[in-house]
Parts: sequence; structure tokens; C-alpha cells
Amino acid sequence: MLKIFVLIKQVPKTDNLQINLKTGALIRNKIDNIINPDDIFALEFALTIREKYGGVITAMTMGPSQAESSLREALAMGIDHVIHISDPIFSYSDTLQTTLVLKETFEKIKSYDVIITGSVTLDSGTGQVPYQLSEALQIPLITDIFIFEFEKDKFKCQRNFGHESQDIEVNLPVIIRIGKHFNKPRHIPLSGIKKAFEKKIEIMDFNLLNCPDEIDGCNKSPTQVIKTDKLVHKRKNEFIKGSIKEKIQRIFDIMKEHGIEKRWMQKK
Amino acid sequence: MDFELSEKHRLVRRSVRTFAEDILGPLAPIMDREAKFSWEAAKELAKINAWGLQIPEKYGGADLDSISYAITIEEISRICAATALTISVHNSVGAYPIYKFGTEEQKEKFLPDITSGKKIAAFAWTEPNAGSDAGAIESLAIEDGDVFILNGSKIFVTNGGIASTVLIGAKYQTEKGEKGYVAFILDKNMKGFEVGENEDKLGIRGSSTTSLYFHDIRIPKENILGNLNDGFKIGMQALDVGRIGIAAQAIGIAQAAYEHSVNYSKGRIQFNKPISRFQGISFKLAEMATKIDSARLLLFRTAFLKDKGVPFSKETAMSKYYASQIAREIAQEAIQIHGGYGYMKDLPVERYYRDAKVTELYEGTNEIMKFIISREILRGNL
Repeated sequence: MLKIFVLIKQVPKTDNLQINLKTGALIRNKIDNIINPDDIFALEFALTIREKYGGVITAMTMGPSQAESSLREALAMGIDHVIHISDPIFSYSDTLQTTLVLKETFEKIKSYDVIITGSVTLDSGTGQVPYQLSEALQIPLITDIFIFEFEKDKFKCQRNFGHESQDIEVNLPVIIRIGKHFNKPRHIPLSGIKKAFEKKIEIMDFNLLNCPDEIDGCNKSPTQVIKTDKLVHKRKNEFIKGSIKEKIQRIFDIMKEHGIEKRWMQKK
Repeated sequence: MDFELSEKHRLVRRSVRTFAEDILGPLAPIMDREAKFSWEAAKELAKINAWGLQIPEKYGGADLDSISYAITIEEISRICAATALTISVHNSVGAYPIYKFGTEEQKEKFLPDITSGKKIAAFAWTEPNAGSDAGAIESLAIEDGDVFILNGSKIFVTNGGIASTVLIGAKYQTEKGEKGYVAFILDKNMKGFEVGENEDKLGIRGSSTTSLYFHDIRIPKENILGNLNDGFKIGMQALDVGRIGIAAQAIGIAQAAYEHSVNYSKGRIQFNKPISRFQGISFKLAEMATKIDSARLLLFRTAFLKDKGVPFSKETAMSKYYASQIAREIAQEAIQIHGGYGYMKDLPVERYYRDAKVTELYEGTNEIMKFIISREILRGNL
């Protein structure tokens, strides 16, 4: 039976982001947090594998206590078990520190066949964890899969990118990074919601994982976010006046200023 | 006392909202335009268990509490009020009475098909001469050996044209007064069961409303719901639950009209500024928000009382009356804020207005709601 693990992250909803202007940190509240949109494709992929090949799916996330709601959501979607990796010392972890904690977690779990991740997170956009985890656990990572199958302890797939495709075969365990819109995630069945809140969430903290001293998100993260700021896109409005000729001339001037004149002429 | 939705309820809202926006969003205007129920939507609704919201898992349901139920209907209605009505009626006055009053055999026989959406349920009480005067129904069931023979007709039956299982109320000849009614579970394939044409309605056009005609239908006694003389009680209790759904539907329409109004007024520039900066408009938004919040809190309290197992007739009547009234008012003001654009069919705002009106009528008119509320008050239930 395949032991499938999905890495998910809870992120703030971006349609109403609020930033503490003094500290430059995101103001998080428990209401506006969601599963990172890319990770939903990873969850759906895990469910598809289970439907086709059987197996047990465990979703895990590293994050503060409110991240639990995202694990409940994963359970409601149909995931079998969840693990919440949480400890104050893990806070402010960058991708490398996160990977180190995940490495400890998988070493504790010992037996795993497939680890599935999304592409990038909405709130930091690095997309580094799957690559780093592959290195840390010394297992292969496959991205951009198109067609796939499991055969005994092997994973076979076709990768598609740009104008070429590759056929790949690896031994399990393997990390699979799922691209955006690889599948069409199912909607959460309402019958799953009640059950999701009846299940137990396994918590793994610093002590339980027996973490080495090098793990210290706040002090030992090589990358530090100095400041977060809101990007403001301002629209410029110009009313063009004059005769038709003058108006057309002004439009061409604007196009020239922005370097789009040439492209437009080529298309013509 | 905690006024915040629980994590579970927030997940219900988030899940149903995503579903409704994805699946029902594109279908809602088509259903309205073509005045047709969407079987495509029905299939998708089955995938999220929307046909068995409050029925236990044992019979295939999602086993939700009443607050989750209200949230679900509201979120569906926010996108498509017609679908919300179909779902609400199916669940609250179709499936629920079978679960509440049915025998174990009836539950096992009828509920799995209903909760899976294989068979849509309806509830038929209203007749040409029995609207607000629910006791005036004339459909008559006469006992004949081990069957009842039913004759009569029903009008304005929600889900009439799409339902396979229909709960109906009829007079039972030998008893008088409130005891003289019987409730049956009918199947549309019973001999003598005739479905009328779809009504051409002002709003909720994507839901099916028809008449039903009963010609000498021979109903086996195992299709009696509850006790022989409990028909009226079953009908009225079903409506108590149904009103939670209608209130939720109304709030969903109001919420949609309100959101459109906020967005439009922020983007619409007149006299060199967004019209939301004019008090004439911004005060309307303030009123909308206040009304919606009040209606929703009242509804949640009603749902809470129902789950607690205490009487909630007064509160459910208050919820239905208030939510439907503010839905109509808010939809009307939404058109006012949108001006001419709101009156055109390019925007959904005029649909909200048409959809909202009926919530003041069905599952008991608001006048009947006030009658129920005042009766409770004057009985000492202040």
C-alpha cells in the first residue's frame, strides 16, 4: 500500500492583505487563512493516486496553531491523516530551516513512498522546499509530470515542458512537485466536514522530533525577511484632446514611450 | 456566548462558496433566462452531498447541524436563489419530515435515493382554495381496505416538475378539525399521479413550480407518514424547518445584492468621485449591512434553538419574515444604486429583485408569519 504524503502550507488570503506598517509583518488573523492554492492541486493528485492504486494519504503542514484549520480542510477533502508540525522555535523559518524540520519529520516517520508538493506558495513565492527536501532526504524529485503510473516500487511518468517530453522512471520513494492546474481539484463534500472535525490531529514539535540544535527558525534561518510592503499599482489616466490627427499622434507617442509601438507594427 | 462562527462553520461557508461560484455561477443566468432547472447542477450538487444536508450518514446524508444548513443555503442562494430554493425545499420539507416522522422501513426505503440526489423531493400542501388557510385543503383520502384512495390537486408545488418523491397532505374523511389530516409519501410513478405545466414565474425561474393532480391514486398504507391523524402537525412542523431555509435563501440574495452595490458604487464615478462617497449612496450601504447582519444573527439563533431541541416556531417565523423583507428592500435599493444599469438584464441585480420578492410569499406569507409571532407573544411566549 502506497504511503503518500502531501506538504501543504496555510497562507493568508491575498484579496485583503493587511500589513503592520511599523513592523512590516503581515497581520494574520484566523479568519482569512486558506490552503496555499497550488497545494490544492497536490492534494487532488494524492486523492487521484489513492483512487487508482490504493494507499494512505497524510497531509502535513508546518505552522502556528491556526494552521490546524487548513489540515481540517484537507481532511474534509478526503485525506486520511494529518500531521501538524508546530513549535514556537520553528517560527520565522526560511525555506532551508523548514526543509531541515521536514527532514527530521520524515526521518521519524521512516516509511514513505511518495511526497507530493505544490509549486510555490502564495505568500512567499520561493518554491524551494521540494528541491531542498529532495537533497536533504537524498531521494529523487520529479517536476512537470504529465502522464504517470505506479508499478510495484517504481514510479514512471512523462514530463512535459516547452517543446519536449521525457519518459522517466524512478524507484520509490520520490518527491513529486505538481504544477499549477495539473488537475481539477474536487469540491469539498459536506459529508467530509463533520468527519474532518472528529479526527485527531497529530502534533509534532521540537522535542518529539528530537531536533538537533541547528534547528532554530528565528536565529538560524540564512534568509531573513527585512520588510514586507504592499505593492500599489496606480493607474494613470490621460484625456487626449485636440483634432483627430493630434489625438492619433499623441497615442503613437505614448506607445513609443512604452516601447509597444514596434511590437504593434510587427503584428500589423 | 460567542458570536463568531466556529472553524467548522467557516469551512462550510468557504467550501460551499467556492462550489457555488465555480459551478452555479455560470449556470445561474442561463437557468433564469431559460426558466429551466439544471440537471447538470443537480449532478454537481450531489457530489458535495447537498441533497442530504441534515440526514445522518447512515442514510447517505452529510449530517450537518442547522447553522451549517443555513450557511449552505445562504451561500448557494448568493449565487443562484433558484437552486437554493430547490435544495432547501428538498432538504427541509422533503427529506427532513421522512427522517423525523418516518418509520425505520420508510427511512431505509426512501432516504438513500433522496440524499444521493437520485430522487428529488417535494412537499405539496397548498391548493387553489387553501393558501394561508392551510386547514382548508380539499384533497381527500378515503380508506379502502389496505389502501387509501386519493383525489384532489395541489398548486405552486416547488420541485413539482422534477421531484420523484412528493410528501402531500390530504383530508382524511372520518376525522374532524386538526386531527382530520393525513400525510403521504407519494411516488411520481404511482398510477393517477399527474404533473402540471411549469409555472411562468417572476423570479426563481430556474426552479420548477407546477400543479399536481391526483386521480384515484391507490396509496398503500406503508406510505402514510407518521400517524394517520398527524398530517397537519407534520405539515406545520415541516414548514417551521422550511422557513429556516427560506430565511437563509433571502439572506443569500440580500448578500449578493449588497456586495454588487458596494463594488459598483466604489467604481462608478459621477461628479468626479465614486458615488459611494455620496451619503445618499453610502447610507444605503450602511443600511444594507445592518439589515443583513441582523437577519443573519436572528437566523443563526433560530437554527441554534432547533438543534437544542426547544420550540422555535416563533423565531423561525421572525427569521423568515425579517430576512425576506430585508432581501426585497436590499435588492430594490441595489437597483437604485446601479441606476439604469441595474434595471438591465446584463447585470444580475434585477434578478435579485425578482428572486427576492417570492421569499415574502412562500413557506407562509409574511402576514402569516406575523400572525404566528403575535400568537406566540400573546400566549405568553414573550
